[in-house]
Amino acid sequence: MSIRFENVRKAFGSKVVLEDVGFEVGSGECFFIIGASGVGKSVLIKHLIGLLRPDGGSIYLDGEEVSRLTEKEFFSVRKKCAMVFQNSTLFDSMTCAENVALPLRKHKRLGAKAALKEALERLDTVHMREFANAYPPELGDGMQKRVAIARALTLDPRYVLFDEPTTSLDPVSARRVDQMIRELCDEVGVTSIVVSHDLRSIFGIADRICMLYKGHVRMLGTPEDFQTTDDPVVQQFINGRAEGPMEV
Amino acid sequence: MNVVSATGLAVIDVTRDIRDILRMGARTLRFVVRGRKDRRMIVEQMHQIGNKSVFFITVTMGFIGMILVFQSALQALRIVPDLSLLGATYGEILIRDLGASIGAMMLATRVGAGIAAEIGSMVVTEQVDALRMCSADPVEYLVVPRFLASMVMTFCLLVWACVVAYLSGMVTAYVVFDVNFLTFANFMLVDAGDVIVGLTKCLAYGAAIPIVSAQRGLATFGGSEGVGWATTSAVVSSSLAVIVLQFFISAVGYLVFPG
Repeated sequence: MSIRFENVRKAFGSKVVLEDVGFEVGSGECFFIIGASGVGKSVLIKHLIGLLRPDGGSIYLDGEEVSRLTEKEFFSVRKKCAMVFQNSTLFDSMTCAENVALPLRKHKRLGAKAALKEALERLDTVHMREFANAYPPELGDGMQKRVAIARALTLDPRYVLFDEPTTSLDPVSARRVDQMIRELCDEVGVTSIVVSHDLRSIFGIADRICMLYKGHVRMLGTPEDFQTTDDPVVQQFINGRAEGPMEV
Repeated sequence: MNVVSATGLAVIDVTRDIRDILRMGARTLRFVVRGRKDRRMIVEQMHQIGNKSVFFITVTMGFIGMILVFQSALQALRIVPDLSLLGATYGEILIRDLGASIGAMMLATRVGAGIAAEIGSMVVTEQVDALRMCSADPVEYLVVPRFLASMVMTFCLLVWACVVAYLSGMVTAYVVFDVNFLTFANFMLVDAGDVIVGLTKCLAYGAAIPIVSAQRGLATFGGSEGVGWATTSAVVSSSLAVIVLQFFISAVGYLVFPG
């Protein structure tokens, strides 16, 4: 079981965002994609679940090419590959429990009552059960993120994509989310791809890291490889220095 | 870029927009027939589209009714010094053409902008992507409730718009031109064809405004600037759709019911 990107290319109009991007993610791995804002990290992971389509190249999930599937064929991919979005993306018109129940109703075809019952159990795992009947705007960012994670995990996916999961969270909530991601990999065997800028997350829980720069893979390796590399662009990024060769 | 290529690009853009709107209409109708209907969402949208537009449509159509009758009477007096058929003529043109069309143009600005802004915001904050991740079709979840709510409420609002414009016109005729209420309330020129054409327009506008606006909203890209563009585009496109529909329904109406 693995994820493989091969020579993926994506442009929006005349702006080429990704050019010949390729790497593989192993089963149970906690894989981080890093890079400056606007470099195409979120764009890249959205290709895996069909929210964007590549202009060139191929993407494989469990050995099956998914880059050419239709919207309907992607339904089965989205059952085993969930995504936690940067903005939580809970639906304001639904309660937290209804938000979590939605994938159960659509993917598993559960009835409203059964889906809500299971949603409550899922909310319990992220310590949000007492807020089951609250509407998302009534909750803080960290709480919304936890509900979004519960929703993403309702279908017991084998792969989870996290798009900047700790952005806008306080340090304690951020480390809790890190811990949750690591536990998913270690205890449940979930393969996680995490898009992040958060250096503490990156060097705290990543198994391997891929750095994107100017649409290409600049470096691929373990956190130790990144800390010991001589590449001035990588060093500038991971040390968060304003001065250096990196063009943003 | 020369004039020819600029014109060509504009034609391609317009053609693509029309194709996308027609596709959205077809998908919406398919989900109306086969998809699930979220009653709570439909009722909520009926409140948003209908109840919250009543004051706006009452005030605007009230003033428009006064202006129409005032100007019509002034023009008529230049030709004949008799306004006994003012109410009858005004009633016919209001029921057949102007009431629904002017009211729909007003609604396109309020309802169309609201739908495009709401859906556009959901696109840029990735809520629409999240829906797709749940295997929920955004058309089924977002467009169908607004479409059904608009079909009912736009129809009711446009009928109300005609009533308001007629009454305000009647008061204007009485106050300014001394036309008696009973003389004005003359429906002898209104026949079944006028009513059928008018009601057909109400239904058509009720369907067109949410479909065009939702399509614009779902096509949003970029951040808040994109939502702004989508909203502007929704108002312009919905208004255009109303005018185009008015032309075609009126044309067919005059062929079927020459009146």
